[in-house]
Amino acid sequence: MFEIVLADDGTVVVAGRLDAAQAVKAQTFLDHVEGQCVLDMAKLEYVSSAGLGVLLKTHKRLMGVGSGIKLINVSHHIHDIFRYSGFDKIFEIVPAAN
Amino acid sequence: MEQKFKRDFSELKNIVTMTEAVFNEMGMQPGLRNVVDLATEELFVNMVTYNTESNEDILIEMVPHALGLEVRLTDYDVERFDPTSAATVDVNAPLDERTPGGLGLYLVMKMVDSIHYEYRNRKSKITFIVDRK
Repeated sequence: MFEIVLADDGTVVVAGRLDAAQAVKAQTFLDHVEGQCVLDMAKLEYVSSAGLGVLLKTHKRLMGVGSGIKLINVSHHIHDIFRYSGFDKIFEIVPAAN
Repeated sequence: MEQKFKRDFSELKNIVTMTEAVFNEMGMQPGLRNVVDLATEELFVNMVTYNTESNEDILIEMVPHALGLEVRLTDYDVERFDPTSAATVDVNAPLDERTPGGLGLYLVMKMVDSIHYEYRNRKSKITFIVDRK
């Protein structure tokens, strides 16, 4: 189960498991995002390298036009994956409160 | 517990269901789920993506180990590909030099406690162990 929606405040909200089976759904949605993108990961339970690839591709596209992705409410275990991947050096990341 | 899965990403949800059952049965720490889920997915996806000459299902076994959980993925009728010798990834590279390629296997090597590859009679078997810690 994976969901990705645009909230009323313009934040992109993801929920569930972003795995290889759901990467196309995420990429299709994010391909239509323009300008600075704030991605709320509070309800994201899991991400694999397929999901990281989606984030990387979108971030590179947006950075190319002077914006990018900001990741907010990132859980501890997903932050670990970002850290192992070196994504903590190329994304602005705001950890979850606890 | 063991189960065979078709060579399709849509099987990932069924692999997660199997892992959940194993964790419940063994009383494994829920905190280890993400490591097991990630390593199993990355290795399964790698087999599905690159061992395209085979139509055989992929066998996944999850068994108790003295240190925690042992997971084995077996792929049949395939060429040799040792994921433990895959090219490393420069995780310190700047954004414009980063590509997603190879990141999955890199994460597996980084996160599991041990991993072993064997190839015999066109059968590829990867075994990894996740410690209880």
